[in-house]
Order: sequence, then C-alpha cells, then structure tokens
Amino acid sequence: MPENLARVRDFVDERCRAAGSDPQACFDMKLAVDEACTNIVVHGYPEGARGRMAVAFGCDGDRMTVTIRDGGRRFDPESIAAPDLESALDDREPGGLGWHLIRASVDEFRYESDIAGNRLTLVKSARVPGKR
Amino acid sequence: MEITVDRRESVTVLSISGSVDGLTSADLSTAFRQEAAAGHARLIADFARVDYTSSAGLRALLETVKEARRQGGDLRLASVRPDVLRVLELSGFTGILKLFPDVASAAASFAG
Repeated sequence: MPENLARVRDFVDERCRAAGSDPQACFDMKLAVDEACTNIVVHGYPEGARGRMAVAFGCDGDRMTVTIRDGGRRFDPESIAAPDLESALDDREPGGLGWHLIRASVDEFRYESDIAGNRLTLVKSARVPGKR
Repeated sequence: MEITVDRRESVTVLSISGSVDGLTSADLSTAFRQEAAAGHARLIADFARVDYTSSAGLRALLETVKEARRQGGDLRLASVRPDVLRVLELSGFTGILKLFPDVASAAASFAG
C-alpha cells in the first residue's frame, strides 16, 4: 500500500490545480493528505495486511475539501503530542511530525470514527493570502 | 526516487532525485546508514532534484544528522527547493540542519 502514496499525491495535485488553487495551497493540501494516508498505511492496518482507503476531493468556491476514509484501526489525533520544534538535536524525537505537518498545512481538520469506519476531512482555502 | 553516491576526498555527496515519502524514505535511510557505517561522516545531501518530502524524509535526515555528528561529522543540505524548504521550516529543521545554496559551498563549509 505505500506504493499508492504517489498516486494519491498526483490525484490531489491534479484536482487542486483544476480547482485553480495557488501552488502553495496545492502543495500544502498534498502534504497533509500524504501524511494522513501514510499514518493509515503504517498505523491503521497490521503490517503486510491489505486495507482499503478512499480519497475524495471537493471544492466549493475557494474552499477545497479532501475526505479520506479507511476501515483500519481508529485513531485519536488529540492523543498525538505536538513535537517540540525548538528542542536541541539530541532531544528531537522522530515521531509526531506527521500530525504536526497536517495541522500546520490545512485550515481545518475533522476526524470522525463510527461503525462504518474512519473519516478524516481536511479543509484548505485554494488561495493563500500574501504568499507566493 | 533515485540516489547517487559520490565519495570525494573529504566529503560524500548523496544526490537525490524525485519524491521522498513513506515508501522511498527507507532507501534514503539505508543509503545514509551505509555511508555512516563506512565511516563517511561528512555528508552532503544534494536536494536540487528533490521536489517533495514528507515527514518520512525528515526522519531519515534526523537519524542521519545525529549519527554523523556522533562520529564528529555532519549532514549538510545543498540546493533545497522552496517547497521542500517549507516542510523543513514547518518542522523546525532549519534550526537543526545547515543549509547551503549549492554542493560547492556545502563542501567548502567542511574545510573551514
């Protein structure tokens, strides 16, 4: 399944461009989706197991929305501690960066989980004011 | 993603091209680890042709810079593109890693 990450990024890239997104907003959305999908691949399903993941793109005016659905292990984003970005090299831990980048890249995110599976919704304005 | 390794007299330059993500970062980690294990601790990662990295790539850089410095060397980055620089900045990595505009200036920094 990690092989599909590039496909997912290409899909998001293509849809963002078609929606008239700024290059930076497009890159940020692609990064957030990639990080979220990587988490599902690595943590959502047992290693080597096949699992399903569906990525949908929507755009309403300048508001781009990506919804990622999966049937893997449920996950609480609030349980992930934010990394200390100011800490010295020896204290830097490799974990936690993925969710930090998701939070930093999109305007809003919502995680829901029920009997039908997990759903992460990422929202980003197609225009980044004052950038590039 | 492709990696070519150029072992020079005083530094080793790893030129990377393509996207570094949760799939390809394992190859990057392996390449870095092999150089560090061979005692090549003065490392330059040429990012001129890297168009994308996720946190998986940052983890490879973090473990490598720690190991290189433990051996008295360093991992320095050259020619980082704006999109990749943004990921490094958002993650606070620009305070950890030394960045240079090109490989020549990164190599010269080791001589000083």
